[in-house]
Amino acid sequence: MNKRTLIFLLASIFCFLIVFSLALIVGKYSITIPDFFKAIITNEEAYDTQRSIILNLRLPRTIVAGLTGIGLSISGLLYQEVFQNKLTSPDLLGVSSGASVGAAIAIVLGLSSIFVSVFAFLLGAITVLLTIFVAKVFKNKSSFTLILAGIIVGGFMSASLSVVKYFADPTTTLASITYWLMGSFENSTMEYVYILLPIVGLCCALLLILSWRINVVALGQEEAQTKGINYTFYKFLIIGIATLLTASCVAFSGVVSWIGLVIPHIVRLIVGRDTRRSIPLCITFGGIFMIIVDILARSFTKSEMPLSAVTGILGTVIFVIILIIRRKENAH
Amino acid sequence: MLIDVKNLSFKYSKGLPTVIDNLNFEIKEGTITVLLGLNGCGKTTLIKLLAGLLDSNEGIIEYDGVDLKKTSIKDRSKKFSYVPQKNFAGDDFFVKDYLTYGFVNSLKFYESPSKEQLIKVDEVSNELGITHLLDKKMGKISGGERQIVTIASCILQDTPIILLDEPTSALDLKNQSLVLSLLKKVANSGKTIILSTHNPNHASFLNTNVILMSDGRIIKQGSANDIINKEMLSGIYGNNICYAEELEYKEVSFK
Repeated sequence: MNKRTLIFLLASIFCFLIVFSLALIVGKYSITIPDFFKAIITNEEAYDTQRSIILNLRLPRTIVAGLTGIGLSISGLLYQEVFQNKLTSPDLLGVSSGASVGAAIAIVLGLSSIFVSVFAFLLGAITVLLTIFVAKVFKNKSSFTLILAGIIVGGFMSASLSVVKYFADPTTTLASITYWLMGSFENSTMEYVYILLPIVGLCCALLLILSWRINVVALGQEEAQTKGINYTFYKFLIIGIATLLTASCVAFSGVVSWIGLVIPHIVRLIVGRDTRRSIPLCITFGGIFMIIVDILARSFTKSEMPLSAVTGILGTVIFVIILIIRRKENAH
Repeated sequence: MLIDVKNLSFKYSKGLPTVIDNLNFEIKEGTITVLLGLNGCGKTTLIKLLAGLLDSNEGIIEYDGVDLKKTSIKDRSKKFSYVPQKNFAGDDFFVKDYLTYGFVNSLKFYESPSKEQLIKVDEVSNELGITHLLDKKMGKISGGERQIVTIASCILQDTPIILLDEPTSALDLKNQSLVLSLLKKVANSGKTIILSTHNPNHASFLNTNVILMSDGRIIKQGSANDIINKEMLSGIYGNNICYAEELEYKEVSFK
């Protein structure tokens, strides 16, 4: 790891801790900094309300927000490297479309929120398998075929979602489906953390171990294979990890757009394409971005704003700035 | 014999025409072999078959008497390294990082290059005169420099055979000469080189073994002196070429 990467990594870890702490303090129920420390350090009954808000509401949703940011940023980066296309997003193979159908079915059936997540995860994963199956039908191993299959299956899932919404009760379940589709951490509990933390943690650990090798895979099949990499194995391993991360995050937070596109671009702008440097920064930057989005979503309006509305506004503005910087860089 | 190709045939899928049609040839250790022929005659497909990027429909490719179909991707990469015709995927990587990717087959999945291997990168870069490129991105160097960097990566991969698919096709004359001279130098160090080209002057300059191909078949194989002659070339390239034998190297050009 070079000096520049190390500086940015340490600075971003520091920022992550600050933003994480801020997320526990900031919200509709105002908690002062002294009250925050008294609530979490002491057992005084006077601070029971603050303690309950911090530990039962804000802590789980902030951890889930951080993990979702990490998961979606990393999966965006992985898809972009494997498909050698900087504009691909975590939804490339139809994960989010499938997860949306799963969640919508669970909501229409009146199931509890944990089952909404389970259905979303399962349908998200099944959709990717379906995409791979459709790509196999074409008998063409190129990444382009896989992307094409993703568009086909994603389109089918979007149509299926419309059918489910058509049959939903317009006064109750339809609103819930629409709200879920825009993303929220409102229902996050420590149970979500216990499921999401090991998944994101293990995936990140594995990716950090494989990070140098991912660079070789990113060279494409011809170069990677002749250099001794089992390209097909690594390609599907990386796609598998990216899909697991996306499906898990989307299952608990709903569909969150832009983050998988914006964060890898910011990181590459700072440390370049080498995944030994970009993966660690995607972890910290992704976590910071999503926690900030969550703070904004729950702080500035009476009712919570959907995550995709905030990520969409922030994401497009940041993306334009990135493009301007890139243009200036290329001009030199 | 280092490489022995027997009855090799290939088509991309059923119903499509045969691209490689019953090829038989041998390649000796430490030689340069030029696959010469028009665009679309099967040179690239043959290079890819040798590199293991395509599986033949019929026939076998033996390395030191062993059928290469029975070897793993990793083992094959210890025998053959490969310079593709075009590759823009590595544009954003720094040259010094790209060069280290040649070591991937000697490392375990969790390892990255050792200090000794990084020193080796510096040594080879110094030897090939590309030290000044190490901190540049692959996409920011010239086509000729890029080919030399890719060949340097093959040298670091340390394989007995280097396969090059049209290594000079997008280069100006100066860079063509640089790359071909480098290949001569690499062959003199004991490596076996197989390259494809549609330019007979390159075969003439390298003055080595030539396999003349047309429509997936071998028309003739032998030394450059035997192959680069008017009758042989006009059969492939047509009558609109002129041929100068009196120069140091036989030269083919337009009429």
